[in-house]
Amino acid sequence: MSAELVRVTIDERDVHVPKGTNLVETALAAGLEIPVFCYEPRLGEPLGACRMCLVEVEGTPKLQAGCTLTAVDGMVVRTARTSQQAAEGQNATLEFILVNHPLDCPVCDKGGECPLQDLTFRYGPGNTRMSFEKLTFEKPIPISPTISLDRERCILCYRCTRFSEGVSEDLQLIAANRGSLSVITTFEDLPYKGAFTGNVTELCPVGALLPTQYRFEARPWEIVDVPTVCGLCPVGCNINATVREGKVKRILSRNHPEIDEGWICDKGRFAFTHLRAGDRLTQPLLRVRRHGLEAVSWEQAVDEAERLLREAHGRVVTVFSGSETVEQVYALGTLLRRGLDSHQAMLPEEISGGLDAYRLPLSSIRDADVVVVLGEVPVVERAPIVDLWIKAARRNGARILDDADDPAVAEAERVVLIWSGPGGRGGTTVAKLAEKLGLAERDGCGAFYLPETPNGRGVADAWAACCDEEGEDIDSIGLLVVSGDEAAGDDNVRALAEQADATIVISMFGGLAAGWADLVLPGTGYLERDGTFVNLEGRLQRLRRTVTPPCPDELEWIAELAARFDVDLAPYPAAIFAEVSQRVYGSLAYGEVGEVAPLRGYPEAPEQVARQPLPVPEQKARRGQIRLVAYKPLFSGPAVERVAELQFQRPQPELELSADDARRRKIANGDLVTVGSNGSAITLPARVNRRLRAGIARVALEHSDGLHGIVEIAKAEKVSA
Amino acid sequence: MSETTVRVAEGPALVLAGYDGEPLTSLAAYRAVGGYDELEKARAQDPQAVIQELIESNLRGRGGAFFPTGRKASFIPTPDKIAKPIYITVNADESEPGTFKDREIMLKVPHRLIEGCLVAAHAIQSSHVYIYIRGEYSREYEVLQAAVDEAREAGLLGGVEIVIHRGAGAYICGEETALLESLEGKRGQPRSKPPFPAISGVYAAPTLINNVESITTIPAVLAVGPAEFAQIGAPPDSTGTRLFCLSGNVERPGVYEAPHGITVRHLVDDIGGGLPGGHTLKAVMMGGSSFPVMTPDDLDTALDADALGAKGYFIGSGVVTVIDERTCMVQFALRVAQFYMHESCGKCTPCRVGTRWLVQLLRAVEDGAAQESDFDLMLDVCDRIIGKCLCVLGDSAAMPVASCVTKFRDEFRAHLEHGGCPFGADSQLAGLFAPVDQHAHTAAAEEAPV
Repeated sequence: MSAELVRVTIDERDVHVPKGTNLVETALAAGLEIPVFCYEPRLGEPLGACRMCLVEVEGTPKLQAGCTLTAVDGMVVRTARTSQQAAEGQNATLEFILVNHPLDCPVCDKGGECPLQDLTFRYGPGNTRMSFEKLTFEKPIPISPTISLDRERCILCYRCTRFSEGVSEDLQLIAANRGSLSVITTFEDLPYKGAFTGNVTELCPVGALLPTQYRFEARPWEIVDVPTVCGLCPVGCNINATVREGKVKRILSRNHPEIDEGWICDKGRFAFTHLRAGDRLTQPLLRVRRHGLEAVSWEQAVDEAERLLREAHGRVVTVFSGSETVEQVYALGTLLRRGLDSHQAMLPEEISGGLDAYRLPLSSIRDADVVVVLGEVPVVERAPIVDLWIKAARRNGARILDDADDPAVAEAERVVLIWSGPGGRGGTTVAKLAEKLGLAERDGCGAFYLPETPNGRGVADAWAACCDEEGEDIDSIGLLVVSGDEAAGDDNVRALAEQADATIVISMFGGLAAGWADLVLPGTGYLERDGTFVNLEGRLQRLRRTVTPPCPDELEWIAELAARFDVDLAPYPAAIFAEVSQRVYGSLAYGEVGEVAPLRGYPEAPEQVARQPLPVPEQKARRGQIRLVAYKPLFSGPAVERVAELQFQRPQPELELSADDARRRKIANGDLVTVGSNGSAITLPARVNRRLRAGIARVALEHSDGLHGIVEIAKAEKVSA
Repeated sequence: MSETTVRVAEGPALVLAGYDGEPLTSLAAYRAVGGYDELEKARAQDPQAVIQELIESNLRGRGGAFFPTGRKASFIPTPDKIAKPIYITVNADESEPGTFKDREIMLKVPHRLIEGCLVAAHAIQSSHVYIYIRGEYSREYEVLQAAVDEAREAGLLGGVEIVIHRGAGAYICGEETALLESLEGKRGQPRSKPPFPAISGVYAAPTLINNVESITTIPAVLAVGPAEFAQIGAPPDSTGTRLFCLSGNVERPGVYEAPHGITVRHLVDDIGGGLPGGHTLKAVMMGGSSFPVMTPDDLDTALDADALGAKGYFIGSGVVTVIDERTCMVQFALRVAQFYMHESCGKCTPCRVGTRWLVQLLRAVEDGAAQESDFDLMLDVCDRIIGKCLCVLGDSAAMPVASCVTKFRDEFRAHLEHGGCPFGADSQLAGLFAPVDQHAHTAAAEEAPV
């Protein structure tokens, strides 16, 4: 698309911009700033509410809002730099904004990083002429356990409500009342609940919406924002970790326009306090007969690990979580495979390289004509930001379909396929579909597979890269090495441990290691690690250590153990990455992964040798039957479980039913239903979901009691309370 | 409630043609005075020709903005140029203080409004008409709905659907874009313009929005012919007649149809019978509460947009509210400011904040707690509102307040010298506004956290 260019003179500078560009952007193109509060291009159409962007336009007597007025050829614009009238207009706006503002900057968490403060210094009046009592409101109001609202500081720019309406589309944040009594509130005063609520705390240009976790925790001049990548889901949103005195105090988005556009989910934003969970391990624990686990020194722990490894030579089986860095897996794999000839691993999930030919940045979803979302797991539960891209696509006019055979798919120019599980063979299925549709050669077309784990691909890459041998099948497990919290929390893994002679658990949390491990080695979290992750686009990204972990880094003791088995391994992520990179990432240097990483190809991807050892057979539902999908909710897992203020976000026990299936069984919203299969049954309230396909029922894993596959569903008998 | 006096005061009867005290609510009664003849004539013409006639007549909008009705209609794209429905929206949200003409049109000549809608629908080739009627107008709604039903049954709509939508009581929904938002079921807040409704109005489709009186005048334009219509009143710009809303402390308040160009004094003294009980005129709320107040020395100004404009006044919605010497102008300004503070939608900063600040300042003056410098501060606050808001509501609050401060500065100053209102309880704005305790907006304003 080549838009017609128009010439605009702004503060005596000539600039050419596409016709229809608003004056705020036009000024930016000319290297000039028009100050704004309500204007935020990511929120859709400009609003023109705050009146901060007033400019003088030649031939128009009144000042004009720069955000809503668009450039016309020959337009002559003066900003506050050159126009007395515009400067007075902006001064007036700031005076009005400050009339009821409490000016409590010294105790406001936004102070020092506040757009209102900054613009007041630059454009505002030095004094107030307001001599009456200011508007007061009850404050702070917890609009949810994670967000506090201070209505006195609010300048009613409506960024938050526009986000709620036009980005996350949750429609929960609204403005109530009218005129000077207008307030931001939640619909029906219910807690603001949803995957993306925390973004309003970053959109807010004043200290009105603040993350409750951060209240009175730090001042801008005593913090450092460390750029890293979120490690809680396969999207890999770019984030900044705000660090004060060695502690993470807050997570902020760090706009990667191709991945997250500056939005992050509430899990990524608020779950970081799991680093300081009550059961966080800092000392190794050793099982002592009749005493249970006892804290031991690191020397003792490494000696013990060496002993257990030697005893199980060739028979060590490793279970990964999918949240390890590439470097951790490579290090552990090198030790076990090269040093101990143990090649058996249970990878967190199947990941196929088949999609490499259909790679696209996530942002291309927004520009698609047709987006086909396949699978029954809600996208938001698996890769939340992808859900925002799909919503943006729909607002852009794209059709969102759930069937790749829809004739619209063949007719559309830009088609994006998204596989959201369950099943899907690590992307193989959707890759085949993409091949059938010939998407590889078509511009703007591609396919995504939403993995279940944050770094499933990177873990698989690293495990495959560390050794060429495959080893032979083993008949018994000498030692089970359980890497990471997700694996440690998995009942299947615990069952496997019962078959093993001994078990080493690497975990951050005591609660996950107690009762079954022979040796527990404290683990680190993604905010404490330096290394690389591969996200669902296949994009290699760099994690940075934002704070020092309370225990030695995994690479440290792995390298020490490796030395004892004559394996040469450096304890430094850069050195380890160099080895992996030679084999997998085209010899890319560690320093070149980049803080805003580009989407690179996969030049030398090795064949995936390891496979998921516990495949779940997929049952096809026959006519009239219902297949139950038990999905892992976004707000679940070891980190979320340890953050009290996120508990309200966890899914209610309920069964989602399609409108069709509900009607057929005379089930209404809220009715208790019994879900049964093979003699076991659960009873839950039903929620009819019109978007669910007939033949599918859905329940959060934690409420499924192990049920999945073909089930019988019926209205429960009335039980008296 | 006593019936409002509604009559043709002088000049040709256009909007009220055929009305002689007996409402023309039935189709038969309206037919009997030539009703729907103009619709038939219009439908026999090319749509563009009808627009051309409106342009020639120089009919201007009666809602307050005085925009040429024909030109506005000509901005609407023709159906071959756009793949969207074209809408007509009639603004019957009559809420401007002092304005009570549209309700009388709907009560007395509802079919003429419908005929106007249908002529306009033909002119811009629309088949969807919304009439957005003020929520408090229940009798008017019933009368108008009955008339629409009767017209539909008589087959007069000709494929045009007329839907009457009742508002929910917000003044701002009389602003055209806020009205559209409200019509769409959203919060009634104005949109920023451009795009103008003619391009992107209701449901983002081309929309012609006109005031009730403007639409109702359309059949009259066709009846007398555009050239003739353009000679009535005060040509070239203030053509035709107006339904003047005369109220306040005047002997015979009412809705009077008269040509543009009669003087304010003529309307007040001759048509309205002057002030009762030997009271003297102190000021006129001219055009509506949104505009500068008129002082007695300007009473000989013609009710013609240009003549008024030359002296800094506005014809607005044809309001002439007479204020006599018993009225405290600080109280008057305060009441007006309270109204706008209450009705400000809260979307843009200057209006939301400025209206409340003005109320605080005026309250301080009224209580004798202000200082001389506050008068200039008030004028400056007004200046910082005017022309800087998203819509004109802010200006509407600031203009009358600024005019009161400027023109009645001595009276304002007397409040300071007297340590309070010199009128005390003697001025209750009697005959101007309902008492404070009967006004939802002032009651709420008093309760507001200050």
